[in-house]
Amino acid sequence: MAKSSLVNWSRMKSPWILHFNSGACNGCDIEVVALLTPRYDVERFGIKLEPSPRHADVLITTGVVTTECADRLKRIYDQMPEPKFVVAIGACACSGGVFAGNYSVCGGVDKVVPVNAYIPGCPPKPEAMMDGVVKLLNSLKGPKTHGKRRGKDSSSPK
Amino acid sequence: MASVEEKIQVHLNDQLGGDAPQVQPIAKGKVFIQVEPSLLKGIVKGLIEKDELTGLIAITGVDLGDTIEVMHHLRTMETIFTIRTLVSKENPELETIIDLLPGANLHEKEVTDLMGVKFTGNLFDGHFLLSEAWPKDNFPLRKDAEIPSIDDLIKNPVVIDEPESIPGEEKYLNITIGPQHPALLEPERFQLHVEGEIVIGVTPRLGYVHRAVEKACESRTYMQDVYLVERICGICNACHVTTFCQSVENILGTEVPARGRYLRTIAAELNRIHSHMLLFGHAGLEIGFQTLFQYTWRDREAVMDLIEILTGNRVNMAYITLGGVRRDVTDTLKDRIRTDLAKLEQRMPFYKNLYENELSLRARLKGVGIISREDALKLCVVGPVARASGVKIDVRKDDPYAAYDEIPFNIVTYNDCDSLARLKIRVDEIYESIHIIDYALEHLPDGPIRVRVPRSVPAGEAVSRVEAPRGELFYYVKANGTQSPERVKVRTPTFANILSFVHMAKGINVADVPPAFVSLDPCFSCTDR
Amino acid sequence: MIMAIDLTLIYRVLVFPGFVFIFVLTMVCDWISRKIRAHMENRMGPMYTGYHGILQPWADFIKLLAKESTSPKATNKTIFKLMPLLSFTMIMVAMFFMPIDGSNVIPGSAFSGDLILVLMLVTIANFFLFLAGWSSNNPYSKLGGSRVLIQVLGYDIPFFLLALTPVFLAGGVDPTTKILVLSFTSIVQGQQSIWFVLLIPWSFILFIIAMQAELEKDPFDVPDAETEIVGGLETEYNGASLAFLKLGKDVQVVLGAFIIVDLFLGGPGLAGGITATAGILDFSAFLFTIGFVLKVVAVVVIIQYVASLWARARIDQVLKWNWKYMMPLSIGAMVLSLLVAFFWNGLIHF
Repeated sequence: MAKSSLVNWSRMKSPWILHFNSGACNGCDIEVVALLTPRYDVERFGIKLEPSPRHADVLITTGVVTTECADRLKRIYDQMPEPKFVVAIGACACSGGVFAGNYSVCGGVDKVVPVNAYIPGCPPKPEAMMDGVVKLLNSLKGPKTHGKRRGKDSSSPK
Repeated sequence: MASVEEKIQVHLNDQLGGDAPQVQPIAKGKVFIQVEPSLLKGIVKGLIEKDELTGLIAITGVDLGDTIEVMHHLRTMETIFTIRTLVSKENPELETIIDLLPGANLHEKEVTDLMGVKFTGNLFDGHFLLSEAWPKDNFPLRKDAEIPSIDDLIKNPVVIDEPESIPGEEKYLNITIGPQHPALLEPERFQLHVEGEIVIGVTPRLGYVHRAVEKACESRTYMQDVYLVERICGICNACHVTTFCQSVENILGTEVPARGRYLRTIAAELNRIHSHMLLFGHAGLEIGFQTLFQYTWRDREAVMDLIEILTGNRVNMAYITLGGVRRDVTDTLKDRIRTDLAKLEQRMPFYKNLYENELSLRARLKGVGIISREDALKLCVVGPVARASGVKIDVRKDDPYAAYDEIPFNIVTYNDCDSLARLKIRVDEIYESIHIIDYALEHLPDGPIRVRVPRSVPAGEAVSRVEAPRGELFYYVKANGTQSPERVKVRTPTFANILSFVHMAKGINVADVPPAFVSLDPCFSCTDR
Repeated sequence: MIMAIDLTLIYRVLVFPGFVFIFVLTMVCDWISRKIRAHMENRMGPMYTGYHGILQPWADFIKLLAKESTSPKATNKTIFKLMPLLSFTMIMVAMFFMPIDGSNVIPGSAFSGDLILVLMLVTIANFFLFLAGWSSNNPYSKLGGSRVLIQVLGYDIPFFLLALTPVFLAGGVDPTTKILVLSFTSIVQGQQSIWFVLLIPWSFILFIIAMQAELEKDPFDVPDAETEIVGGLETEYNGASLAFLKLGKDVQVVLGAFIIVDLFLGGPGLAGGITATAGILDFSAFLFTIGFVLKVVAVVVIIQYVASLWARARIDQVLKWNWKYMMPLSIGAMVLSLLVAFFWNGLIHF
């Protein structure tokens, strides 16, 4: 019990993020990058921006999923080791936004990978993003963490 | 002083004699002609010989039922000159102009991919903007296109395991800077063909952010299109909306009130300042200078605050609309904007000094990624990229819109043609923007900020362009009397500048590719729409 | 008693001033590095993990240990998983030959040549990092690994040359072989009256630059260039191997600081010099350690401060600076130090 709460604590305090844009207009992306700058500074929470999918715990996606990017997004999600979380930022990532129904748009991110947190907005303010991330981290306080599946078949979009 | 239309008519008569078509001006300074496809290349050649600053802006395809109308929009003799040709739908073929203007390469490929017009001399396999799984001979922008379902498209993805080589040159190492890469904020795939540490060539694959905006515009009303068009690019959203609104207002013939025009100018210049600061912070990140990135973005927050108090939103302004702007400014707001911009202007000498004198920046950026003046003209680049190579083009002076004809300001050019010049020019443009906003606030005229426009737009067409932070942004709108447009064509500045990256990457070091690339300020959501 | 000596030895190697002490010191130095970097960038750095984020490196380490561990399909998994551990071990072993609390971790293990041994172990550790990158079977890792080797091997030459300059000042000739004693212990003993940084400051400055290159810190950050080669040699690693890779990098910084403190800043103790105590609960040994730790922290602060000031250089620029500037300057520093040594050791009188 003590060991698992220590591990839980370390996961809460040190979430490393990977940022992937799967077809966004850049509005959400510049707000995500603004989170690392002195005014908002998410490194206070231990969040680090990692370059490689293998190092990251949280996948932050922005933008709709276009037909070109659908396969890439799935691959990146599969490359991340467990336990992992997905945060969909922006109205486009949640449901397709203004582009829903266009001929090269699959829709929101949850058509391709399972999502843990949705942060709506167009784009959401950095404060809203921080609020969403902190809520996601606090949800780890419970006894069971999400995403303990192992093996290849670790995703099942509805 | 002959008007532009007369000058062009005289030139055409000289060149073609009896075959010369009649010039049709559709608005002040924008002329159209209609010719047979065989005369097209000759006219373009004549124009290039007459005016060295001639460049291709865009190639638009419009589906007219049995025929497809292909329009070549050229920037020449200080006007937008459009050459219309008609090709049949069964056998749509035209001659390519990439031997005269290499910058037309991607424009022709886009029309081939989306509309089905083949340009002899510029054919290719596979798709350019559409995904590889899209069926062949299915052209989505045509009115009678059958759109396949999304599930069919993503069911069998085309997976690329090995990077592709240049055919015949398999000995080079191929590095993929792929859709997910820390250097890129957006997904696009670039394959670098490398020998040792020198890049031999670059093969780009665009279309990862293609969200089918042009087709979607045709099925929404004009007001809904304002929302859609704003989200083509989050960074230069004010410019997209301005250009679209200007095109529709040109068709309707409405005159935006003076106060509305000045407020549009202020919003556009604030947009320019925040975009330039974003870029040279990002450039610092690309060359490993984290401290510069953090300082720049900290100072940029002041501008974001100003945008928020002016328009209500930090990024997507939702401020400019058909007929004017949506909110007014009060006197306290004017004072706040002026004080904050004065503080920002005090910070700018620090950045200017950094880019002039800092050793490690000069070591990484000086002499990297050269685009000579001749190449800049032939590749039809626009914006700060062109101005850093000595080509003095700026839509705010060449074709004034909003309030730019009443506000004095300077155009900055450099002759160095390298990445350092492209970044320095943006620092100078920030100074100019701050002065423009100060002047506009001081001389803000009274009156209404907006006029109402009717919901249905009568049949007609218009072109309009605007100087976005990255360069010239061009729209063509065709209305057909209903509440939705018939065709909206968007040509973004990065689409024109991408070829220059392919050109300048030949022969540079692999480690120089990120700084050279980011000095172009690429915005792929604009490119792919 | 043999049993008592063994227990003391085990305590010294494992707890203090051995493994546990160095581990805790590494975590603290990592936190200090992150805070310095954040404050240079006008930010705050980690704040909520423990008091002002001091437990942040621990949280990172534990989280990485608890992650799923994968390895690429087409590689030799033994080499892939073993290289980070070997690299880390080499550096820890190198630390055992440096005087920390008055004498080496393994007491009485100082010998002429342990300076060379420590510097060589650093090079071997970097070679294991290259193997780690090569065994990942990923073009980015291969590029990252080869860049590590190019840079470290290139800058090893001025690094070694400059490390010899305090040896001249320390003097001390081995009676049997008649060559200079190349030992950390003798260098530290030679600084009892005055720290060498005050005698040969040019050597100190050049050594800091060479150390930035050895530790792959800005402006010599080339092997870790995220924007060019994604994660460098770490790209395919995750889980426990990644934890040891990152820990190895942090321990390298601490080892670099140890070397600088012992060579130039007087070694253990606030004033400098050492005694030969080797007891467990010796209070003076404890005081010496505090002085040592303060100096190490100061050096870590300097290294991180310099790293925040510059952009990243290109690999060919890094090599050009090595051959064009560092080499001649190092040779010049050696000659100058020799002259100072003659005066200092009293071999030339007026």
